[in-house]
Amino acid sequence: MSKQTQQIDRDLTMSRAMVEAIADEMRDNEEVFYMGEDVADYGGIFDSTEGLRDEFGYDRVMDVPISETAYLGAAVGAAQEGMRPIAELMFVDFFGVAMDQIYNQMAKNTYMSGGNVSVPMVLTAAVGGTYNDAAQHSQTLYGTFAHVPGMKVVVPSTAYDAKGLMHNAVRDDDPVVYMFHKRLMGIGWLPAPDGPKTPVPEEDYTIPFGSADIKREGEDATIVTLGLHVHRALDAAETLAEDGISAEVVDLRSLVPLDTETIVKSVEKTGNLVVVDEDYRSYGVTGEIVASVADESLAALDAVERVALPDVPIPYSRPLEQEVVPDAEDIAAAVERTQ
Amino acid sequence: MSDTTDRVAVTLDDWPDDADSDEGVVINWFAREGASIDEGASLCEVQIDKVSVDVFAPTNGTLTEIVCGEDDEFAVGDTLAWIAP
Repeated sequence: MSKQTQQIDRDLTMSRAMVEAIADEMRDNEEVFYMGEDVADYGGIFDSTEGLRDEFGYDRVMDVPISETAYLGAAVGAAQEGMRPIAELMFVDFFGVAMDQIYNQMAKNTYMSGGNVSVPMVLTAAVGGTYNDAAQHSQTLYGTFAHVPGMKVVVPSTAYDAKGLMHNAVRDDDPVVYMFHKRLMGIGWLPAPDGPKTPVPEEDYTIPFGSADIKREGEDATIVTLGLHVHRALDAAETLAEDGISAEVVDLRSLVPLDTETIVKSVEKTGNLVVVDEDYRSYGVTGEIVASVADESLAALDAVERVALPDVPIPYSRPLEQEVVPDAEDIAAAVERTQ
Repeated sequence: MSDTTDRVAVTLDDWPDDADSDEGVVINWFAREGASIDEGASLCEVQIDKVSVDVFAPTNGTLTEIVCGEDDEFAVGDTLAWIAP
């Protein structure tokens, strides 16, 4: 939280910070437009576009038919022709029906054309569970998007970060996947934890990709995480502090590019690495971070813990979902095991 | 509550026409006590029958007291906060 400084009198929810950045970019550049399901009249089912249609109208804030293949393909084409589309996947879980457009067109067309076109689009997507929406509407899928080359992948955890990352995403000349966690948006029926609502400057600013943020400094263990679990890790660190364990919380903010340097530096200080992810355990963020640190600084690692979703479809049942999604107690227990 | 002479109540003046309920809940405050406020700025967001509505500052001034905090319920006409112009 180091950079959000003095004398900002207003707090914003994460959704309002995102919308402020998008509106600012749309005012600045008429090539920027937004399309997705229920983004115009409804304002986004997670408030990701609230108020944009009122200001910019239907030509620039477009509700689209329920065909992710069609409108994500349209966004790729518009981007290649010089526009700057922001296209929203209502739930990241729906990526499968448009996988070719995302994985083979959006991510690769710059390369397939020998650099003759660029694809300056932003793909926004709601991620995350914790509200009993079952296995097809609760996934986080960080690994799926960070895996394929050609797309940048960013994940804000606070309103301040959400605004700066969105400005940077729209201005980037390559495709950016911007994954926002539903539980962080500040919606009435889906209350956020304390933390994502932060002071946000009125003026525009960018947060460069590949710059992880140390949300809490500590000496005994490094917790690397992102999205909702930044706040759960901060809660865990608070509890651990009462027991005399000092945990550092590193918020990745972007998966591609990955700020390995900040992670390694922290682990070289603490000696212990705990990676926390809301995505599945296998072939994902936890394994990748641990491997990256092992590559760079194997000798620094005294202990390693991975806290992630077990490899099961996310249960609809409330107690079962709470069991599989890591909470602050799971994180604190993992940190204690490293000590 | 006799010292109300030079402070202005923040209320939700435009209760949604189609709301069945005459009670709401405060979802988010965007200003903290002590903040200086511009007239018309969105001070907080409330929810009535699952519809979110913003509450705007009736005047310039300082937000001296938040009466209904986040998650608090309120009824039509209730004072949500006080502004000292």
